[in-house]
Order: sequence, then structure tokens, then C-alpha cells
Amino acid sequence: MQEHEQLSHKQINEDLLKDVLTVPKWWLPAVAFLGLVVVTGLCAFFYMVYHGLGVTGLNRPVMWGFFIANFVFWIGISHAGIMISAILRLTQAEWRRPITRAAEVMTVFSLIAALHTPLMHVGRPWRVLYWIFPYDFSRGIWPNVRSPFVWDPSAVGTYLIASSLFVFICLIPDLAILRDRAKKPIVKKIYAQLALGFLGTPRQWKLQIIAGILLSALVLPVFVSVHSIVSWDFAVLIGVEGWHSTIFAPYFIIGAIHSGVSAVAMLMALSVWLYGLDKYIKPDHFDAIARLLIIVATTWFFFFFLEWVYALYTLDSPDIALRELQALQWPYGPLFAIFVITSFVIPVPLWLFKRVRRSAVLMFWTTILVNIGMWLERFLIVIPGLVRRTHMTFDWGTYHPSIIEILIVVETFAFVCLGMLLFAKVLPLIPLFDIKEGMVNRRLIKVGRRVVPATIREGLPHHYYEKKH
Amino acid sequence: MVTDPGSRVVEPYVETDNSVEARKAVSDGFIGIHNVTSNRFWQFAALFGIMFVLGIVGFVMRLGAGFDDKGAWGYYIAVFAFLMTTSSAAPMVAIAPRIANSHWRRPISRAAEIWALAGCLNLLLYIPLIWLLPSLENGRRSLWFYGQQEGVPAYSPHIWATLAILGLILLGLALVWLSSLPDFAVLRDHGEGWRKKWAGRLALGWRGTSAQWNWQYHRMGVVGAFYFMMLVFVHFFISVEFLMVHVPGWIDSLYPITHAHNALQAGVATMMLTMFFLRQFGGYKEYIGLDQFWGLGKLLLALSLLWFWFWFSSFNVFWYGKKPSEQAVLELLVKGPYLYLFITIFILVFILPWFTMIWNPVRRSVWGPPILAISVLIGTLLDRVRLYVGAWDVAGKSSMMEDMMYMKMSEVPTKIPTPQIADIFVIVGFIGGSILVFMLATRLIPAVNIWEQKEMLLYKAEVQFHRTKVMVMGKSR
Repeated sequence: MQEHEQLSHKQINEDLLKDVLTVPKWWLPAVAFLGLVVVTGLCAFFYMVYHGLGVTGLNRPVMWGFFIANFVFWIGISHAGIMISAILRLTQAEWRRPITRAAEVMTVFSLIAALHTPLMHVGRPWRVLYWIFPYDFSRGIWPNVRSPFVWDPSAVGTYLIASSLFVFICLIPDLAILRDRAKKPIVKKIYAQLALGFLGTPRQWKLQIIAGILLSALVLPVFVSVHSIVSWDFAVLIGVEGWHSTIFAPYFIIGAIHSGVSAVAMLMALSVWLYGLDKYIKPDHFDAIARLLIIVATTWFFFFFLEWVYALYTLDSPDIALRELQALQWPYGPLFAIFVITSFVIPVPLWLFKRVRRSAVLMFWTTILVNIGMWLERFLIVIPGLVRRTHMTFDWGTYHPSIIEILIVVETFAFVCLGMLLFAKVLPLIPLFDIKEGMVNRRLIKVGRRVVPATIREGLPHHYYEKKH
Repeated sequence: MVTDPGSRVVEPYVETDNSVEARKAVSDGFIGIHNVTSNRFWQFAALFGIMFVLGIVGFVMRLGAGFDDKGAWGYYIAVFAFLMTTSSAAPMVAIAPRIANSHWRRPISRAAEIWALAGCLNLLLYIPLIWLLPSLENGRRSLWFYGQQEGVPAYSPHIWATLAILGLILLGLALVWLSSLPDFAVLRDHGEGWRKKWAGRLALGWRGTSAQWNWQYHRMGVVGAFYFMMLVFVHFFISVEFLMVHVPGWIDSLYPITHAHNALQAGVATMMLTMFFLRQFGGYKEYIGLDQFWGLGKLLLALSLLWFWFWFSSFNVFWYGKKPSEQAVLELLVKGPYLYLFITIFILVFILPWFTMIWNPVRRSVWGPPILAISVLIGTLLDRVRLYVGAWDVAGKSSMMEDMMYMKMSEVPTKIPTPQIADIFVIVGFIGGSILVFMLATRLIPAVNIWEQKEMLLYKAEVQFHRTKVMVMGKSR
């Protein structure tokens, strides 16, 4: 990071705890509005429970609609946290420091949003209990572990637990600071309980760092497995054209990283505007995340290309008919064009320009475009394959989402935003200890007439191999 | 002292030792090592030379047998694919960390780039394969168009594959040459004998002006990025045109990426072994240290885990889908005649590296990573044999074209074809030949990048941190 402000620990505490210990003016109206949207969505859900799934646009053979597309989208967004936090932490990328917390928290809320969409989709969500407590022993009704629908909740649930643990472990030093600064006794007590007696002793720091690294490494396989398993919900089926593709697992994951990292860039811009964190999130940070996005987006596009090439390679007429439906016929053709244009054609060439990469405004809007495109991608994977009439389909129709489905999908977006706002009210959105560590490790080196930033090298003590080998 | 506008803390800066004397000491050290060629070097070169001669004999024998029996070419193509997977992928060990600005790459980046020169042997191996590739005329499936259509050359796959492989080799040569320009200038000014003469010609008047350095950084970045893209592209071609096209029903959209990933894993393994030998026998013990083994060890660990994920992603979709055509492909490559070979590969390429490299003491050692690199390289060679011999065995059957129309194998081979003497000569000879090319190239081009080592002087400093001393590394961007 070339741009940097060396700040004192006191200054960092003041800046980053300001919005936790006080209430910004815009906060209450924003929370009230988002709360209203969430309540409306929940009302729509209860209406659907009362009247049945008939109030949705689902029909035979389109049994998966907005809910499942939305589920895949939120699972995708949830990949941001681990991508940004775990991978960048393991690779010791310095620019990660101010954005890890927001990414991790977004992972948790988007996973909750993802989980509750299929729960609503099943129509009678209380039946999930039968999976946990299978009641009908006499008739041998047990959850079928061979079904991808059992893999899903297991994988997503594991990821949610691991991500929550990750967020919590990384919060402990900051909770201790809040404990020491909170004024109300009850608030102080809550923070004290959560801080687990953290005092910042060398041993506690050592454990904290080891736990962070271990969790980063352990959560990575979970991160990969989650979207792989979601993709196999589709790919292991041979009955729906366009779904039975071996590339789906990595294709879903790279797509998830594309939308997730874009969402983090959006969050960075919002943090700068809403919380005035421009001392911590600099144009250099936008530049770094945009560079990462160029690589991710290009890789994603290559996977997308391969997926299409192989669909056409089979020369099977149903496969080709499906691709024509997806890309050329009404109403999916225009959506397909919007998807490709917004997720790749517009943002990636723009990110090649340094001025765009360093602008919070342009990064915000281009990453919004990416997420519009990536939502449509999920829609175009789920729906057209089911809509197309195949030789074993005796009943067919098309799919139009009902207002109930739209309200529930909007509710998931409001839920994640609300969750983030509430979190930022009680806990800092930028990790204080990580920022301070960056400041402590930071040095400057004079190279010719320039002074360049440097950092203390972590890992091997510098004399390690000179002594041993 | 430096003060950032608006900050409240004044930052001191560290001076690095970038004096003329320090830089000269680095150059002298490397030129000293580079100018010495030991007897052991020539003994090994002679051994690999003999192997290469055997390879040429095998090559001629294979050509002499003609192109009618496609099944007989399986081992030959497996060697070609193995070399594309190892020597052509090794330069990625220089390119990727350079883009990521990782300092640990510096002592090994040149050796990685030199492996690109061995690509010339791949070109020699590739030439006969043009005659083996089926054209679009006889109804084979093609990635290029829906069958052969009017106006589409029947030899499109041949044209594209040839251009891609040529492109990769030319980019590899450009990469190693560009990277060596400043070092050629050092050899021109301070070297001796024939090296001085050749380095002078190859240095293209390099003087180290600011403009030349600016161009150097830009060119290295651009050529490196293109090399990576071309490598992925070439693996896409090889895995499709020389593998999947020949097995009716094998439609695996992930496989081109798996093939490219295998190349990255084997490329890292190749470099691990290379740096081990350079360190132990090449005189570079002071420069190639734990940092490099540790850095590559982490990469190998991640790539081994990815190997499993890519394999399982394909396997699971085929196995769970229970489509007859895909079951036949699994029967051929996993469950049938190649079962024991597959289990061996699984252990060598995934189980061993994953379950040993997960331990930091193994990754952070000089002996651990190279031993596991041998495991990965043997596993990768066996994997190429499993896939290519299996696929070309099917291609050699007379019913293949008819099966291709229905995308399902009518007959799955039940045994592994036995390698002939020509195949053994080609396997041994061309692997030996690649090593020979690498060894001879290190006599002209310094095996460790001198200018990147000197650049390191600019960015590395030792500072006091509380009660200890720590290493501080600068980042130019």
C-alpha cells in the first residue's frame, strides 16, 4: 500500500469506535426502513404458508424458481468473507486489513439469508424438524443421506458455524477494547462476557494469531465444499439439460468469488461514505480489490466459456435447443444479454483503467452491475432448464415470479443490509487490532530518491536458515 | 524522517545497502559460480545425452512403424503430455509470484524460466502427432463447429493446436531471453571466454538506463501474462484434441482446467527438484534457502488438495449421474484395467503430498518438499500414461468412429497395452533430453537471476524490533 496514514492507537480507537459508542443520524431511519421491508417479506412468507405454494409462480415442471436462484446467489456472496479474509490472511496481503471484518460479517448474514430461502421454498418449513428428529420409525422414513438435499444443509450449516467462529475469534481483541470503553454497566458486562477475559498478554496474542491462521486454513475446504455441493444439486441430475456438467462445482465457486468480492468492494465504498472511514480505506485498497476482481472475473468468464463450449460439443439437439432458449429466445435472451454485459463486458474493461480502479464511486457502481449480472446468471441456470419441454414432460408451463416471491427475495436483501447495520452499531466494522498490527509492522524504506512502504516479514526468523543450514 | 500529510505520527525510514560495492559483490558471487563447470556436471550431462540419443532412436522407430495403428502411439503421446505438464509449466513458478510481488521467488525465477527452453523438444515430439489427429471429415465431434460445415477447413483442429503450441514455445523463448537481458549485459562486461562473446550478442546493447528498465518491467509483465494464458489454452487443446475426442462419451467440461491444474502442480514439483539440485550441487546454497522450499511447499500443498477437488468434481458427476456413456468412461479410466494404476496415482499425487505437506516442519525443510516432488512427478507421469494410453487404445479400435456418432463406447478395453521398446526409449530419452537442455542452458544463462538478486538489495533491510532483529521487506507497488 503506497497510500498510508500512520496513526496512533488512540486515534484508531477513537475513529473506529465512534459509530459504535454513538448513533449516527441516518442510522435509525435506515434501520426502520430495512426493518419494514423485512417485516413485509415475512408477512408474505406467512401468507404463503397459509395459502400454500400455489401463491407463487412455481408450477410443473418449473418447481424451482426465484427462491432457489436467490439461494445460490446468497451462497455466492457468502464466499467473499473467506476469500478476502482467509486467503489474503494466509498470503499476508497487507491491503486486507481494513476490509476483512466487513467481508466476514457479510458472509454470516448472507449465509443466513441463503439458508432461509430454501426453507421458505419447501412450503411447510416445520417439516425440517422431521429431518432432525425422524419420527416415523415404523415406516422407515429417514432422511436420505444419498440425496443432495441432505448434503446442502449439512454443508451450509457447517460453513455458517465455521464462519461465525471465525468472526468471533477475530473479534475478541476488539471486544476487550469495547469492554474497557463502554460506559453503561450492562453493556460493559455483555462485552466483558464476550471478550472471554482477553487482556492482551503475549500468550493470549499468540493463541489469537494461531487460532486465526488455523481457522483460515481449516475453513478453506469448507468454503470450497459448500458451493461444490450446491452445484451438485444441479450437476448430478441427468434429467435436466444444461445441468449435468462436471464444471459446475468450480464454475459456481469462481462465480461466487466474483460476486462476493464485488459485494465487498461495494461495502468498502459504503463504509467510506456512511462511516467516513477514508483514513483507513484508501484508493489503493480499491485498486487492489479491482486488480483481484480482474483476475477473478476473467477466470470466471473462461469457465463460462468452457461450460457453453461443452454444451454445444455434444451436438445433442436438446442441449442446443436449451442454449438457444437461454441466449436467444424471449424472455431469457434479453436477460442473458444483460447478464453477460453487466457481469463482464462493462466492468472488466473499465477496471483496466487505474482511474476507475481508484474511484470509490465507479467501483461501487461497477460492482453493483456485477451482482445484478450474477443474480441473473443463477436465474438463467435454474429456470430455462426446467421450462424447456423434454420427452418425459407431460405437463408444462412457463414461470412468472409472483409478488409473494419478489417480496421474499427483496426481504433477503433487506435482511443482510439490516444485519450489517445492526452489527456495525454494536461492533466495529474494521478490525482495530488488525489495523494496529499493520501500523506496528509498517516501516519505510528509502529506494533511490523514493521512500517505499515496507513491512516486517512474518514467518521465518530472518537468521533461521543461515543458522541451521 | 517522513511525515505523511494529516498523520499524527512521524515515520522514520530505513536505509538499505544498495551501494556499488554491494551490487558488485552480488554480481561477482554469481559470475564466480556461473563460470565454474564441474566434472560431475559433465558426467550427468553425458548420462542424459545418452538417454536422449536413445529417445531419438525410439522416435525414429515409432515413426518407422507408421500412423495406421493409433493405439500404438499412446505412450508416445503420454510423454509429450508429461513434458507439456512439467517443463512447459515450470515457468509459471517465476511468472505468478512475480505478478504477486513475492520476494521469495527471486533466487528461483530464472531456473523456472529456463525450463521453457525444453519446450523445443515438445515441438519435435508434437510434429508426428499432426498426422494422428483425425480431421473433421469423418464425423468426429469437434469443439470448433457443429461437425464439419461448408467453408470450415477439415483440419481446423490441427491448425489451431499447432499455432497454440508454437505460440507457447515462442513466448517461452521470449520470456527467458527478456528476463536474461540485464544478466547477459553483466556477463558481457565481466564474463570470460565464449560466454562473454555470446552474452554480448544476446544483451542487445543493454546499458541499464531508466527507459530500458521501465521497458523491461512492462515486457516481463506482458510476456508472463501471455505465457500463462497460452499455457492454459494449450492444455485446453491437448486435453480435448489428444484425449477426450478419442473416447466416445467422454464429455467433461472441467477436464481442460484439470489438465492445466495438473500442469501447475507438476510445474511446482519440477521446480522443487530443480532448486534442490541447484542448491546441493550447483553452488547456490547461499541463495536458495528455506524460504523458497517453504513458499513452493505451500503452493504444492494447495495444488495437491485442488487435484483431489478437480478429480472428485468430475468423478462425482459421472458416478452419481449413472449415464451409461459416462459409466463406460469411468470403467475405462478408473474402475477397469487402470484401477491399480489409478490407486497408485491417487496416493502419489494427492495422499502423500497432502498428508505430509500439511505439517509445517515438512514444508519448511530442504529435504521434505523435493522427496514429495518426486512422488508428484512419478504420479503425474503415470497419470498421463493412464489417460493417454487408455484414450488412444480406444482410438485404435476400428469401431471408434461409429461409436463417436452415438457418443458411447461399444467396447471398453480390458487390459493395458504393453509398452514397446520404442515407447520405453521415447519415455526415457525425452525426459533425459529435457533435463539435458536445461543443464546446457544453465552454462550460457546464469541459473539464478542476478538482477533480481541485486534488486533485492533495494528492498531488504534488517531493523531492531523491541529486543530482537527482524527483516523488513519493501514493496515497490
